[in-house]
Amino acid sequence: MIELHGVYKTYRVGDEPLTVLHGVDLRIEEGEFVSIMGPSGSGKSTLMHIIGCLDTPSVGEYRLRGTLVSNLSARELAVLRNRMIGFVFQNFHLLPRITAVRNVELPLLYAGVGRAERRARALDLLARVGMADRAQHLPTALSGGQKQRVAIARALANDPALILADEPTGALDQRTGLEIIHLLRDLHHAGRTIVVITHDPTVAAAADRTIYIVDGQIRREEVRRR
Amino acid sequence: MNAWEMINMALISLRTNKLRSFLTMLGILIGVASIIAIVAIGNGGKAAVLGAIASGSAQNTIQIVPRELVAPGLPQPGQVLAIDESDLAIAASFSGVQQVNYTLYGTAVVSSGNRSDNASIEAGPANLNELTRLRIISGHMFSQADVIGHRDVAVLSQSLANKLFGSGNPIGGLVNVSGVPLQIVGVAVSQETSLFSLFMGSDALYMPATTCQDLFPNWSVSEMDVQAAPGANVQSLAQRIVTALNIHAGDATAFADSSGLASSVGALLSKVTTILTLVIGAIAGIALLVGGVGVMNIMLVSVTERTQEIGIRISLGATRTVILLQFLVESATITAIGGLAGVVIGCFIGLGIRITTGIPASVPWPVALISFLFSAAIGVICGLYPANKAARLNPIEALRYE
Ligand SMILES: Nc1ncnc2c1ncn2[C@@H]1O[C@H](COP(=O)(O)OP(=O)(O)O)[C@@H](O)[C@H]1O
Ligand SMILES: [Mg+2]
Repeated sequence: MIELHGVYKTYRVGDEPLTVLHGVDLRIEEGEFVSIMGPSGSGKSTLMHIIGCLDTPSVGEYRLRGTLVSNLSARELAVLRNRMIGFVFQNFHLLPRITAVRNVELPLLYAGVGRAERRARALDLLARVGMADRAQHLPTALSGGQKQRVAIARALANDPALILADEPTGALDQRTGLEIIHLLRDLHHAGRTIVVITHDPTVAAAADRTIYIVDGQIRREEVRRR
Repeated sequence: MNAWEMINMALISLRTNKLRSFLTMLGILIGVASIIAIVAIGNGGKAAVLGAIASGSAQNTIQIVPRELVAPGLPQPGQVLAIDESDLAIAASFSGVQQVNYTLYGTAVVSSGNRSDNASIEAGPANLNELTRLRIISGHMFSQADVIGHRDVAVLSQSLANKLFGSGNPIGGLVNVSGVPLQIVGVAVSQETSLFSLFMGSDALYMPATTCQDLFPNWSVSEMDVQAAPGANVQSLAQRIVTALNIHAGDATAFADSSGLASSVGALLSKVTTILTLVIGAIAGIALLVGGVGVMNIMLVSVTERTQEIGIRISLGATRTVILLQFLVESATITAIGGLAGVVIGCFIGLGIRITTGIPASVPWPVALISFLFSAAIGVICGLYPANKAARLNPIEALRYE
């Protein structure tokens, strides 16, 4: 599903070029559950942004389901993010001024789903993550774990094949974090491809495979037998 | 996403920041409200002035006066001050003239029983009520037969009738003018919008010109009322008669067409009001421009504040076009609502002025519609730069923005 070959990413900070990824080769199969670990600043988020089509490699190629992403137009990338990819962030990234259900509706809105169907599907998704009774709450009225559940419901809105989670438990206590991981594992069992960035070894251990990144390079891989 | 969903989204976002949205709207609202109010007042003022002038002259009637009466000043030696029989005959000789009448003005003591009042006397033909815009409220106007027969009849203005007869019915009663009893055949009110009623007191007595000449033989005829035949070119007829009269008097400026004068004064006044409306309108337009700059400023602040929101929306699959439209629709919605409120408030100001001053202030609907569309357009124009800025944000940097 995901193929990276010799991917470099260089940012420009002022006049200084800053190379964050140093030749990453990575293959993730359809239906895999992969975790990514590594020290802070090692380029994990950058890698995830490239995988999620929010950013493009400076050098190297990235294929998503065989399509060379650098050949796609801005509009095609937007459609890809909307239909095929669901993001989950450490800081939840819910829009603060609209209710939980309206947050979940957003990807459906951009997909052109009509008003009534949008609402019905959003409520259904909230029910699936156990948040049916909080649909009309503003994010500020929700706990961290609840916000992350809403964010996961939103990531699932257009039934994407790929879920990308950047430290989804980083802002949660251990028990709530574990609940979120169970949720992700359920999604994996339902056939989705899942990539999780984490600092927590127990979270990483939930995945089939763990990739270790240091200084923008993949140093080590660990495959678990189940 | 259809247009309605765009507007709905904009409304939601505006509602979450009510005070700011309202303050942003205020600039546009004040600009539009003042434009609407100015147009309403200008229109009303023009209508009032033109109405007053039009009401001063009856249709198809040429009112000719000695020049001294139109342009007050010291008469030159030998200047014509009154109209005589030969002048009337000259006017009557023109083809296209149906009838030539004349009017006399003066003041006299009018009494009934032990009550008396100093009133202005207006004497003329049977259509005097049209010439001076009277509305008969009871009885009737004196007739042509009364004029021809030198009959002792009169019509009183309502205020004079009240002074002499109190609440009693004056019709059929008698009043004394210069020792002659006149029978009252009607009571009239002068139409409020008449310019002439502003200059004349409202206590007035109207009688046949012939009767007046019998009572006051030394009063001079001060106005000639030439009734043009239906279909005649009134303007050219007036010009030809005035020229003929001037030749007869041996003075190129002896007579003037006072109805023509009234209409040229009207044209001037209407020009002045138009210029004033334009000038004040331009000032209001500047206010609107300043309001537009305010909208742009707030939209720029809003884009900066919502950088992370934009990043999130892009990560969820919003295209640049959708982001651009979102901010454009938001700023257009602000200014359209501001414009709509401005139109409504401007109309209310016009209504208030109509009620308090009696000026027939009115807002033509195209002006209201254009003001509204214009304010929506300001929103689009002033929102363009901030919206474009939002649409061009790098999603990664927007997501990382705190
Ligand atoms: N848009 C950017 N512009 C400049 N530098 C960036 C940008 N994004 C990330 N970086 C830098 O790249 C390095 C790696 O960042 P990141 O991928 O977020 O690391 P991680 O997620 O592993 O902590 C950091 O030093 C960070 O400051
Ligand atoms: Mg990171």
